[in-house]
Amino acid sequence: MSKLALTLTINGERHEILTEPHRTLLDVLRADLGLTGTKENCLEAECGVCTVLLDGAAVNACILLAAQCQGRAVLTIEGLARHGDLHPLQRAFIDHGAVQCGYCIPGMILSAQAYLQEHPSPTEDDVRAALAGNLCRCTGYQKIAEAVLAVARDRSARR
Amino acid sequence: MSFEYHEPTSLAEAVALGARFGDDGRFLAGGTDLIIQMHRGKLRPRHVVSLHRVSGLDAIDANGAVHVGALVTHRALERFPAFRGPLRALVEGAEVVGGHQVRNVGTVGGNIVNASPAADVVPVLLTLDASVTCLSPGGERTLRLEDFLIGSGRTARRPDELLTGVRFAGLAPQSATAFLKAGRRRAMEISVVCVAGRLTLDASGERCLEARIALGAVAPRTLRAHEAERFLEHRALTAETLREAAELAVAACQPISDVRASARYRRLLVETLVPRVLARCVERVREQAS
Repeated sequence: MSKLALTLTINGERHEILTEPHRTLLDVLRADLGLTGTKENCLEAECGVCTVLLDGAAVNACILLAAQCQGRAVLTIEGLARHGDLHPLQRAFIDHGAVQCGYCIPGMILSAQAYLQEHPSPTEDDVRAALAGNLCRCTGYQKIAEAVLAVARDRSARR
Repeated sequence: MSFEYHEPTSLAEAVALGARFGDDGRFLAGGTDLIIQMHRGKLRPRHVVSLHRVSGLDAIDANGAVHVGALVTHRALERFPAFRGPLRALVEGAEVVGGHQVRNVGTVGGNIVNASPAADVVPVLLTLDASVTCLSPGGERTLRLEDFLIGSGRTARRPDELLTGVRFAGLAPQSATAFLKAGRRRAMEISVVCVAGRLTLDASGERCLEARIALGAVAPRTLRAHEAERFLEHRALTAETLREAAELAVAACQPISDVRASARYRRLLVETLVPRVLARCVERVREQAS
């Protein structure tokens, strides 16, 4: 089986990757690059724990071939904090007690990040709809929605 | 899963590869269905022909007749400004497909060739009398979408053909569309039943000139409710006529009982959703007129 040589920008850093065509972006992130913040669960795009941003858009890394990401920019949860400072969404999730077991949280935060980039002033219903592709089996949706709304409100207040 | 991966950069090259591999090959668009089927071992193509370097398949053209390229994502459909008016059902169908993550990647062409009886955009396209274009090294052919869909997961696409897009005529004046879906929860749900409708009314807005009703997840393929459509045409649209149309639509269904719902429940949903969809179309035509 021939391998593919791919160039991916991951969290702002260029990576040259040699991999088999069947491997997914999730395989490459977790197994090859050790970026285990992106979680693995259903492998069928049902649960959203593997959500990363591809050129700014939320995608399920579990059903995306790494080859489809050639030349593109990937943001994972590891790339969100800057210079050791937590991203406002990360801070808000902690402050609002939105994290229970924590497994869904990286995907939840990245979906919220993609959504807020385009919709800076959402309602609670908007936020819930935006996070519909991310399941929390601890069922902590209320505090998650509150945390995302708090970030949106805080940003509008600053503008 | 293991396969040879191909990345053609032109339509001609993609079609040539597709023809060479035939049933041993699969075209990869968004992959939101194909990769899952391959993970499950249900599909084991020896060659995967990715389309993401082929340009020109991801555009929507809505000047006059509407053409939607096969690689247009559900997200692009959802956000296309010209679909916010009478063609709103396209948005309503696209925005209930999976989560954001799937809609960002999954394509309209994929949704069609996948031929799931529960596909959400397909019934809307059926109400628009859409046709699909298939390209092979031998040339292009156009088929009515209704003829293209043969059964669950089955289409009239030949192994050497690539679906390149879907096309439909712009709507006549006094027309509107609507789409409703019933699932066990509001998001991330495969339709238990979905219903799309299109109505064209006369100038008074009371009488139906043309009706289209399409039903998802009630038969091996997405269905048109032809008898219900014919019944409505040239009739005044009252609660009574809508109810009679719904009964005719129920008669067209051949639903199964499965983990999502019983056949009986699916029929009840059709009976309820058809009048609701049609009433919404009437409301929208009147709104547009005012």
